Amino acid sequence: MIAAPDLRVDLGDLPLRNPVMPASGCFGPELGDLIDINRLGAMVTKTVFAEPRSGNRAHRLAETYAGMLNSVGIPSRGARAFIAELLPRYRNWSPPLIVSIGGLTVGAYLEIAERLTRVAGIAAFEVNVSCPNLEAGGLEIGAEPQVVEAVVRGVKERVEVPVFVKLTPNVTSIAAIARAAETGGASAITAVNALMGMAVDWRTRRPRTGTAMAGFTGPAIKPVALRCVWQAAQAVAIPVIGVGGIATVDDVLEFILAGATAVQIGSATFTRPDTMVRIIAALEARLSDEGVVSVRELIGALRTDSPSATVPMQAG
Amino acid sequence: MVGASAGATGSLPRLARLPETGPSAPRVAPPALLEAAVVTHGLIAPEYWRLVLDAPAIARTVEPGQFAMLTVARGEESWPVLPRPMAIYGWDRAGGRIEIVYRVVGEGTRRLTRWSCGDRIVTVGPLGRGFVLLPAAQRIVLLGRGIGTCSLTALAGVAAARGIAVHALVSARHSDALVGGEAYRAAGAVEVREVVDTDGSSGVGPVGAWLAENCRTGVDQIYACGSDRLLRLALEMARATGTGVQVSLEAHMACGLGFCHGCATGHPGLVEESPLVCRDGPVFRHLPSAPVA
Ligand SMILES: Cc1cc2nc3c(=O)[nH]c(=O)nc-3n(C[C@H](O)[C@H](O)[C@H](O)COP(=O)(O)OP(=O)(O)OC[C@H]3O[C@@H](n4cnc5c(N)ncnc54)[C@H](O)[C@@H]3O)c2cc1C
Ligand SMILES: Cc1cc2nc3c(=O)[nH]c(=O)nc-3n(C[C@H](O)[C@H](O)[C@H](O)COP(=O)(O)O)c2cc1C
Ligand code: FES
Repeated sequence: MIAAPDLRVDLGDLPLRNPVMPASGCFGPELGDLIDINRLGAMVTKTVFAEPRSGNRAHRLAETYAGMLNSVGIPSRGARAFIAELLPRYRNWSPPLIVSIGGLTVGAYLEIAERLTRVAGIAAFEVNVSCPNLEAGGLEIGAEPQVVEAVVRGVKERVEVPVFVKLTPNVTSIAAIARAAETGGASAITAVNALMGMAVDWRTRRPRTGTAMAGFTGPAIKPVALRCVWQAAQAVAIPVIGVGGIATVDDVLEFILAGATAVQIGSATFTRPDTMVRIIAALEARLSDEGVVSVRELIGALRTDSPSATVPMQAG
Repeated sequence: MVGASAGATGSLPRLARLPETGPSAPRVAPPALLEAAVVTHGLIAPEYWRLVLDAPAIARTVEPGQFAMLTVARGEESWPVLPRPMAIYGWDRAGGRIEIVYRVVGEGTRRLTRWSCGDRIVTVGPLGRGFVLLPAAQRIVLLGRGIGTCSLTALAGVAAARGIAVHALVSARHSDALVGGEAYRAAGAVEVREVVDTDGSSGVGPVGAWLAENCRTGVDQIYACGSDRLLRLALEMARATGTGVQVSLEAHMACGLGFCHGCATGHPGLVEESPLVCRDGPVFRHLPSAPVA
């Protein structure tokens, strides 16, 4: 009998039994009614802020061609309610819990890190830097390498578990931001958050979401996300977690070849709540079929030599 | 507009969650995820379709006012990304079937029409907190407009079976768009009043007079869905007579379960997030003048 392929991967010091986990904001304990959460490589919370935030006005969702827009605006019940009410609900499951944290100033990131440090049940933090920077006129925190480095270093100093940094794709050089995160002490890079998008209803002459601009996600953004993962993986030595438009096992393999050590699934969980567990089963089957012993063999194994060197060109 | 949507409730009086426990708490069972086979699917009026699904795990526990999320993407397709929320119009617990009535409004519902018998639709339900019948209720009024009536039809059946007198108002733009009248009559409603815009019978005047007349003779609860105008009338009546009101709201949804935060009723500026239509609703009650129970 052939042994089942090895799906284990390591995100720095954090070992995962398989590389598939949810994307922040697209997962919650509620899914436990519909799928076996213990099958996942990890669990990821929605971004938590230190203080309560109400989020944006309706409509917060719109559908676009092969994707979706959200202007949810990261409502949060704050650190206190998170620790008291939400966190205990994740204790029902065994995969490591990655807690996403956010802030609107550098100081706010340090505050949430301080409030969550040494709280039991947190395996790692994912610093969401796709938040508007109140100290820089609303420019995203994650748009400036020095700010990213300061946030990561400050969080890292305050917590005892690995710190991942989730990058925004809405920047000129994702490589520069990834390097800043690595310099600040990140154990892994998550790439990427939502693209900035917009939808208009010309009949009502209004944007389709409550805030004119909204986060664009889903299959339509996959080429951009894949490119970001590729660039980030080239730029840093730490592992990259790929996210953006993943809906099938083929998508997962593409991200892994481009340099991702693990992947996150966001919008595809809305389309079918069992997407993650289906993909994990399909990944195992696909690797078996391909004779791949360990998924780790494929990380960053994309061939960029000229295919014409190995495959003769067809005449005509 | 299809319903009293979350986007519009900013201008409406405060609505609150139904109670968590006690006789006026809705019954809520955990939802199920299934690939429900299409049993019957067809046009029932211009633009209106009826869909019957084989969904035993949903039919077993669904309560009036609850809904399901139907995935529009077929087979291995990964879009349309968002599933569509649909009220569960009726069900057959023993037969394991649920019924949905929908209006074709956009891309998702247009695609829904292409499903045929035997096809399997990824379906999650029952979802949300539905309508509550108060233990001592003897007479209730149901106010539905357009497709919004679909959230109310099941309530009529459960109420009538308990011996509660059901007075139902079915409002629509024109007679082809009147849905639910048949279902109400079959459920045993004592009165089904169908009103339309084309002859003016759906106007605030005549409907208000009908409602006032009903309330004058004693109504235990008013249930509304599908129109801000009907809801406003109900709330006016609530203020005048102290009758409690329950209303089902609509909002754009992604998860239907409470974790994406896409469906908040949206009152910007508050510190706390406003209620989520999928998890805290879709049925809310009017506070504070007329608490339920
Ligand atoms: C709890 C609940 C119960 C519902 N019950 C029914 C029912 O029984 N029958 C019925 O015909 N309709 C019902 N609706 C409304 C139905 O979900 C929308 O009409 C439908 O989603 C529109 O989809 P579409 O793809 O045709 O339109 P599109 O305009 O292409 O939709 C684009 C996006 O906007 C969302 N959207 C647009 N209009 C609405 C709306 N009114 N409510 C919620 N989301 C909307 C869609 O879900 C989709 O994500 C219900 C809505 C809710 C929230
Ligand atoms: C409704 C919604 C809410 C989200 N909330 C968060 C969030 O709180 N924090 C965060 O870092 N990313 C958030 N995201 C972004 C996702 O985690 C992910 O990066 C993005 O959706 C791209 O992946 P996808 O194409 O698989 O959805 C959210 C996305 C959606 C659709
Ligand atoms: S639809 Fe996701 S929270 Fe309500």
